[in-house]
Amino acid sequence: MTEKNTDNKKVGVYICYCGGNISDHVDVEEVKKRAEKMPNVVVARTNMFMCSDPGQELIINDLKSGKIDRVVVASCAPSLHEATFRDAIKRAGSNPFIYEHANIREQVSWVHHGEPATDKATILIASAAAKANLLTPLDPIRVEAKKHTTVIGGGIAGIKTAIDIAQTGINVALIEKSSLLGGQLNNLDKLAPSGEKASEVLQELLDQILTHKSITIHTDCEIEAVQGYVGNFSLSISKKSDNKIEKLNIETGAIVMATGAIPYIPFDGEFGFGQHEQVITLQNLIQILKNNKSTGSILEVNGKRIRNIVMIHCVGSRQIPGIHQPKEDGKLNEYCSRTCCAAMLNASNQIKENFPATRIYEMYRDIRTYGRGQEELYTQASANKVVFMRYEANAQPEVSLTRDSDYPFQVKVKDSLTFNEEMDVPADLVVLATGIEPDDVSGLASMMKLPIGTDKFLLEVHPKLRPVEFPITGIFLAGTCQAPMDVGEACNAAGAAAVKASALLRKGFIELDPFVAEVNPNKCQGHGACIEACLKEGALTLVEVDIDGKTVKRAQVTAAMCLGCGACAAVCPEKAIDINGWALKQYEDMVDAIVSDGFAV
Amino acid sequence: MSPQAKKQENKILILATETCAYPGADSVGQAHSTYPANTYILRVRAPVLFPESFYFDCFKKGISGIIVMSCGEECPYEGAFTAMAKRLDGVYKKMKAMELDLKRLRLTAICTVCNRSFLNEVNQMDKLVRELGPPIFKK
Repeated sequence: MTEKNTDNKKVGVYICYCGGNISDHVDVEEVKKRAEKMPNVVVARTNMFMCSDPGQELIINDLKSGKIDRVVVASCAPSLHEATFRDAIKRAGSNPFIYEHANIREQVSWVHHGEPATDKATILIASAAAKANLLTPLDPIRVEAKKHTTVIGGGIAGIKTAIDIAQTGINVALIEKSSLLGGQLNNLDKLAPSGEKASEVLQELLDQILTHKSITIHTDCEIEAVQGYVGNFSLSISKKSDNKIEKLNIETGAIVMATGAIPYIPFDGEFGFGQHEQVITLQNLIQILKNNKSTGSILEVNGKRIRNIVMIHCVGSRQIPGIHQPKEDGKLNEYCSRTCCAAMLNASNQIKENFPATRIYEMYRDIRTYGRGQEELYTQASANKVVFMRYEANAQPEVSLTRDSDYPFQVKVKDSLTFNEEMDVPADLVVLATGIEPDDVSGLASMMKLPIGTDKFLLEVHPKLRPVEFPITGIFLAGTCQAPMDVGEACNAAGAAAVKASALLRKGFIELDPFVAEVNPNKCQGHGACIEACLKEGALTLVEVDIDGKTVKRAQVTAAMCLGCGACAAVCPEKAIDINGWALKQYEDMVDAIVSDGFAV
Repeated sequence: MSPQAKKQENKILILATETCAYPGADSVGQAHSTYPANTYILRVRAPVLFPESFYFDCFKKGISGIIVMSCGEECPYEGAFTAMAKRLDGVYKKMKAMELDLKRLRLTAICTVCNRSFLNEVNQMDKLVRELGPPIFKK
């Protein structure tokens, strides 16, 4: 190993296997060997999961022992674990901004393979080490934050979020586009698997929200514009009341999206839907059971005795290209709506327990009773003599009208449970287990720059590690705007989003990253080019200072106003102004590391 | 240089904004869509940071192509995109005077989920730099 310049920083490089996600394509031990030879790198280590406690301990121990004073972690995207490793550095008693991240998973091992992947990982680490060598300790910037949150959507998730936030002493505005709170809960009856009445659950929450002094409810509202940044958002709202449009403006510190979802509506003719009134959706069946007054041993709907019900699962969910009919926009719902299996079984059990003479045939692709207490619904349905038949996606049940039978329909199915035996099941009623679709919030999403997934649901930062956050700091999400969820799951998500929003605003100020412009007073000649280039009025000014008895002009930064964009750094002839943590000189050294293939910087 | 690592020709530098194009590149990774490995993505807050000289220095150092992947008109720093685009006009003028192929420097907007556009830009630039080779400064 060549002797290293002792004036330079001592960089530690920590390379993650990511349990094979990285090491399956990048020769991590080879990269470590190469990293050890990089300028200023004093130690390179590897770990199966660098984000794990033992992984973080490696960094903490090296910092505490004084072996290193700059840190590079080569792992997944910085959006996932940059904060994790900065925290680890903080716990070691060091400044968290002596850190640089090398993205060798999303931008290497998941897109390149073999030797090129190993070489690219090496170069990215060398480039990060070159930047780390120039990093200096920084202090965060304090931004005043309004202790107020706006929740968009008045369904169960929105109501629960609002109550939970308000209970922490933060004011809440709840915005609902319709005139009614409760969302889809208004259309449900006995909730699976507990059997609680949806109306009672909703009433309990309404009693709390309507009387809470810290919560203001705005119904019949449309959001027209969202501006600002974390701690200081501003929402322009139009409210319909008495045929008038009233304009509202809400100043808020954080926003929670709880815009919900809607049931899938089958297309005309899908299993006979829209053509025969006895072909109904799961949501229709729930309404029928909610209001049903039948007293005998057989279910009656609209005065007709229902002897046989055929229930068809997975309608509008788990759609497969080439098999299912796409919508006008060419999209298919390829996801599983998750909640319909349990809801169907719940309805079947209600029918069988109240009207034992009504026979039920459930035609399913897979039964997905995934949650606590849900598998019991399936066992219970079997005990209640519900007949299960399993169809393959490419052989969907066929619903047709009968002429000579006294049943209006017959449903043909190839039952894979009986080795693909073809069966004709007579039916008085056909129920389609229609799933959940996201509500169209594309307008709001584009206003707030929120990501939408390919399934059209709103997309969180990370499904496991940051499940209720958006990439935009200060904006969160809860409930079925994110994915199909049952009431319990929507409340879970609401609780999580509420805690996140409350924790953010609790102190009344937020500490932001200190990545703002800084002037080197020894280099600045007071040309003022930076002030002309500055994009934020007032962030940069020329002030008079006394140097060696002479009054001269020098640039001065107002940190809280500086955007940190770097427009000033590009134009200074003296290179006297740069962005802390993202300096031009750091980029120049990174490019040097790249062009020299990670060595001989 | 380590004997294990081969000298790579035709490197492409990508300046990717941290709010749009950089997560866009991550999204391509999440989709496991492969693209050429001679691409080096630098996470930037706003490419308005880079003076004209940065681009020429990169070419002089041996970078064959540069893609500025910005947020476009949706730049979170109001005015930064326009200022940067204006600066690149100046860079193009000088590139022309230096007889450098203007296609070596490309300004584009890539969003957080613009996987297809990202792959398209990268593949086009890769094709170009393989044809042109490293930049040669005639003037």
